[in-house]
Amino acid sequence: MLINKKLVLTSIVRTYATEAAATGLRLTFAVPHQTIYKDTSVAQVNIAAVSGDMGILASHVPSIEQLRPGVVEVIENAITKKYFVSGGFATMNPDSSLNINAIEAFPVEEFSAEAVRHNLAEAQRLANSGATEEEKIAAKIEVEVLESLQAAINAK
Amino acid sequence: MFATRAQPVASALSAGVQTRNMATLREIQLRLNSIKNIGKITKSMKMIASTKVSKAQRAMETARTFGASSAAIYKNSNATPLESEDNLFVVSSSDRGLCGGIHSSVAKATRKIIAQSEVKNAGIVVLGDKAKNQMSRSNRGDIKLSFNQIGKSIPTFAEASAAVDTIKASGVKFDNATIVYNKFTSAIAYEAVPITSYSLDALKGSEGFAAYEADEGVLEDYNDFLFANNIYWALVEGHASEMSAKRNAMENATKNAGEMVDRLTMTYNRTRQAAITSELVDIITGASAL
Repeated sequence: MLINKKLVLTSIVRTYATEAAATGLRLTFAVPHQTIYKDTSVAQVNIAAVSGDMGILASHVPSIEQLRPGVVEVIENAITKKYFVSGGFATMNPDSSLNINAIEAFPVEEFSAEAVRHNLAEAQRLANSGATEEEKIAAKIEVEVLESLQAAINAK
Repeated sequence: MFATRAQPVASALSAGVQTRNMATLREIQLRLNSIKNIGKITKSMKMIASTKVSKAQRAMETARTFGASSAAIYKNSNATPLESEDNLFVVSSSDRGLCGGIHSSVAKATRKIIAQSEVKNAGIVVLGDKAKNQMSRSNRGDIKLSFNQIGKSIPTFAEASAAVDTIKASGVKFDNATIVYNKFTSAIAYEAVPITSYSLDALKGSEGFAAYEADEGVLEDYNDFLFANNIYWALVEGHASEMSAKRNAMENATKNAGEMVDRLTMTYNRTRQAAITSELVDIITGASAL
């Protein structure tokens, strides 16, 4: 109840203070080889968590979410950017800062639909007829990632 | 005590140098050539290191952001180490030498931290052969695991997670893990500092952690992920420090080789002239005797 009230309150404040970039949600989005956002003020971030898809605004309840292969959508004031991540964790902190640590993340539009389709067919083949159990499981994970990637590309 | 013992050694050395000054031209020539070659090698190693430095530094910047972003949870939840005897110390170094005191710096720092923490059950995991040699001199019994093949190029996240997997699979139990690595302070300075990782129990027990909403099931993975991130951070930053230390070490070596070449060339020329003079004297004395 209290949490709900807090959320409503901050969303009102945000409409008044959209220009004040220093407050609001501060996003740090990093993969091991690249820093995508570093302490940047954004309006909203939508993540695909294991527990379900969720949208994060400023003053969201502090939480730790495991990311599943899917799209992380970053909404800056006017622009929306979509990144496909392979997995990782998102930590929402009490001070309205959101830390997303992923293993791999690339803009959705940079993926080639053709290559995804090709790899998906290959992975599906391996998942059914892999030589070892380990290989099959690895292929199944690959299928899962590629299917969600394909869905992300098609949804664009 | 030490100084008095060092004295006779030093005098013996200078006697050796004196005999070397009397060396024949050929001996000087040989030395000159070998030092010139060493100078060439160190110079090219310096060039290689300096091209790698900028790449390693860029990787370090991103790894720092990545590591700091994941380690923010410790700060936000006010995590404190559990009172426990099971501590793990991870020494992050590499296989490659010829880079100054970078490996002894982490080894020394780890020894100091272990001594200060006064834990009875200190497990040590060593990343890199160079630090392994140093740690096994003082803490052989405590080394649980060691990894090599580190430091050929910029460490990857896959390497860090493989290390964490192996540590987990080996059944090493720990409540707090301290990762000691060389922090890159500037192009000419590095400093061995620790990053602390906590066990899940320590994280759960910290005062700020209750504020976080999380599924019980993902926390185990989350904590392993944090540990891997910290190791990745330590490896990449350590690599950058190593490369810049290597560049400095090789630069100094090249400079020293150049100085030695100058000195030896001078001695060579003088000895050559002395030889010519004495031969001339011989000839002239011989001629005047006739």
